[in-house]
Amino acid sequence: MSKKLIWRYLIVVVLLAWAVYSLVPTLQYERLTSAEKIELQDEGKLIDLESKIIKRGLDLQGGMHLVLEVNVPAFVKNIAQHQSRAYYDYMDNVNAKFEANPEMDYLDIMLETADEDSLRLSRYFPSEERKTDNKSVIANLLTETEHAVIRAEEIIRNRVDQFGVSEPVIQLVGKKRIIVELAGIDDPQRAKDIIHSTALLEFVLLKDAEYTQDIINRIDAAVKRINPEDISQIDTAVVSNTTSTDTEISVSELLGIDEKDAGTADSSVLVDKNLAAEKPFSALLRNLGWDIGVPVENYYAVNKILNDPEVKRVLPNDLRILFSGRTKDVDTNDGGKVKFYTLFFVNREAGMTGEAVKEAKAELGSVSSEQMGQAIVNVRMNSEGTKTWARLTGANVDKRMAIVLDNKVQMAPRIKNKIPNGRTVVEGFANLDEAQDIEIVLKAGALPAPIDIIEERTVGASLGADSINRGVKSMLIGLMLVAIFIIVYYRGAGTIAISTLILNIFFVLAILASLRATLTLPGIAGLVLTMGMAVDANVLIFERIREEFFKGKTIRSAVDNGYSKAFVTILDANLTTLITALVLWQYGSGPIRGFAVTLFWGIIFNFVSGYFISRTIFTSFTHGKKPLNKLSI
Amino acid sequence: MLQFFKNPNFNIVGKRKFAFILSIVIIVAGIISLFVQGLNFGVDFAGGAKMQIEFKKSISAEELRTLFTDKDLGNPEIKSSGTNEYMITINANDAENSDDLLKEALLGIDNTILQIDKVGPKMGAEMRNNSLQAVGIALLLILIYITVRFEFKFAIGAVVALLHDVLVTLAFFSFFQWEFSLPVLAAFLTIVGYSLNDTIVVYDRIRENIKIHKGKPLPEVINLSVNQSLSRTIITSLTTFFVVLILAIFGGQVLFGFSIAMVVGVIVGTYSSMFVAAPILIAWGHYFKSKDEKKK
Repeated sequence: MSKKLIWRYLIVVVLLAWAVYSLVPTLQYERLTSAEKIELQDEGKLIDLESKIIKRGLDLQGGMHLVLEVNVPAFVKNIAQHQSRAYYDYMDNVNAKFEANPEMDYLDIMLETADEDSLRLSRYFPSEERKTDNKSVIANLLTETEHAVIRAEEIIRNRVDQFGVSEPVIQLVGKKRIIVELAGIDDPQRAKDIIHSTALLEFVLLKDAEYTQDIINRIDAAVKRINPEDISQIDTAVVSNTTSTDTEISVSELLGIDEKDAGTADSSVLVDKNLAAEKPFSALLRNLGWDIGVPVENYYAVNKILNDPEVKRVLPNDLRILFSGRTKDVDTNDGGKVKFYTLFFVNREAGMTGEAVKEAKAELGSVSSEQMGQAIVNVRMNSEGTKTWARLTGANVDKRMAIVLDNKVQMAPRIKNKIPNGRTVVEGFANLDEAQDIEIVLKAGALPAPIDIIEERTVGASLGADSINRGVKSMLIGLMLVAIFIIVYYRGAGTIAISTLILNIFFVLAILASLRATLTLPGIAGLVLTMGMAVDANVLIFERIREEFFKGKTIRSAVDNGYSKAFVTILDANLTTLITALVLWQYGSGPIRGFAVTLFWGIIFNFVSGYFISRTIFTSFTHGKKPLNKLSI
Repeated sequence: MLQFFKNPNFNIVGKRKFAFILSIVIIVAGIISLFVQGLNFGVDFAGGAKMQIEFKKSISAEELRTLFTDKDLGNPEIKSSGTNEYMITINANDAENSDDLLKEALLGIDNTILQIDKVGPKMGAEMRNNSLQAVGIALLLILIYITVRFEFKFAIGAVVALLHDVLVTLAFFSFFQWEFSLPVLAAFLTIVGYSLNDTIVVYDRIRENIKIHKGKPLPEVINLSVNQSLSRTIITSLTTFFVVLILAIFGGQVLFGFSIAMVVGVIVGTYSSMFVAAPILIAWGHYFKSKDEKKK
């Protein structure tokens, strides 16, 4: 046996040993039953084992991939100060432009428009810096949004940690985006809510009754201006489930919009027929003791009126109109039940925000308390918050205070007396789960800016398992077909080709395990494709050997010549695919990157097994002690 | 010894006119189709939401559609994707919180959501741009590589061949309105790599034979080279064709676009390396010869 061959054997043995070593943990893990997994987890060995196996992509194990982006318009709106009529007009322009060109940068549009309108932005976005030209203000805003993203990432990380997901991926991408990947979660919707709810907790004073009535009158007048027709005259079928004075009309009719323009989304509403003529807005509302009720049927209409530009114009700047987060059932005279939202007229500025929260705990209200059996969140404030809370409650005894979460009113109790100990109870949750979610977001803190989900990919666990089955099945059938074809065509040499092909797959899986790379469904497709292409190296070589053999060369020199002549071709041909794989690796997202990874390693190991190992096996036959006298090719 | 071709000597180069006409017809038809009906971009590129939902009881597409009317969902596309399983696609313009609306609409019916793909319109536009950039960079790198490894005229031939493959495959995607998604784009880049692989094997032979058979006319050398690599081309193409066909059949919904692109690409790539890439060198050669003669 030649010395060269010994070296070759050695390299092959080392490679095989490495591959086996890398793949053993994965095989071990696959054979574990769930009971055994729990046992290992208790011993603390599971994490260690999991860190050595081939990582499955979200598309194979089920999970959720989110790309989040800070909503710049909302962020700017939140931090603007001293907002005036001129500012609102300016913002209307900016928003209209942004809607027309959503691909443009919002801050750029702001700058451009401010210069056009010759508006001094420093008035609304004051900063400590001396420079007050619009350009510096916008630059400052950009820095602030970038900081907001960084803070948002931290907060989301805290929330996810408390939610309890194994190995979550949360990372900043660029300056505006955050990627969140959660594997194997049972309730994607709940996780999504926890991640992207702003969780802005506010304590806001309600406007008094007189003021509120005045505002309602103004809205009534505004709606009448929009649609001067007497809407009570509109003749529609009376389908009413509350009181006999209620009638059903459509929102479009109410606002005098042509039915065609309004789209199909308008739903019919319940109006109080006696009121409708004089007070079209009030007619949509109901008196519920201390509260203003909005029957659920009217929610859409009321919302539409409140967002009408004509109506917005008559509303004072220091007012916010908010809905309750939940509906409540109210018994009607005829024994039925009607669902109501509650409408609140509150101060624009919050007396206090969730920043003051030190601790939050979700629980069921104790037997003796008012909230018996209800899901509540007990909130304790920090020392700063305790002081503010005491001052705020002390100064406003007998007034009502709304506790607002993400612009929805959870509750609006009347302040009975000063609260000196910095504690409060938040109620108004559907169940304990919801209260617990609120506990998580309150503890982790509010997001500095609203966050939009700009990309979401969720794969259910069952589909993931199905994908694995399909992938494995395709691989086995593909391998079988290729094997039959190649072995029939090339006989003995074909068997060598197929063994090196199997080794190729084996090596790719081993490198995935050692590099902790992720295997995705397109990744499996890449493996299957590799099988088809990996035989190519052997086919090139075998065809060359046959040619040399026909020329009358000895077996030994035919084999040697075949291998060396084919090498350049194999190199050239594979490098182009390698380039493609690298570009995909660089530019692809998630699953596509998985494809690029297996394609890349498939090609690399094609040289190793398809050329090097195959040649080693071949030469050990031709250069051995008993050289072949017949070539099975 | 099993051989498909014993000393093959087909006049492949002689059929080049016929091949050119065939290719041009398909490509022109494809371009017309691209202008008329375009590509069926999936949510990856167009934005929107796609949900795969499995129902516990059988339900018809019409019944589903009635559930979605008046729900601000626009006009969703409802396609069956298995027994009691539907793929529902909602247009980008209607997709603000479409998945929530859709879930709400289905509250009364027992179902499992198998998959959600939701891409905002801005993100979709970004993915289109990124993908174009990726394709551009890949093509540029390959052109540089071939120019370095071969002569420039080979590089031009190779790039013409791969453009041919991409255009023909694209034509098929437009004809049949198969969904064009991110995995399909990955398949296109792979086709580019694969087509070149074939082309380079043939070119390698041509380069080698030009040295061996000095004095032989170029068309003969090229025809000889194509014939010599014929067995290899057919065998490799067959094995690759087998596996991508298997993927198209057994790989499931998610991989279908990818696999079908590969199936078409493998066939077209094999054809082009023999009938387009090699003969184009002759056309190129004629052009330069006549130029040289004029100079004299």
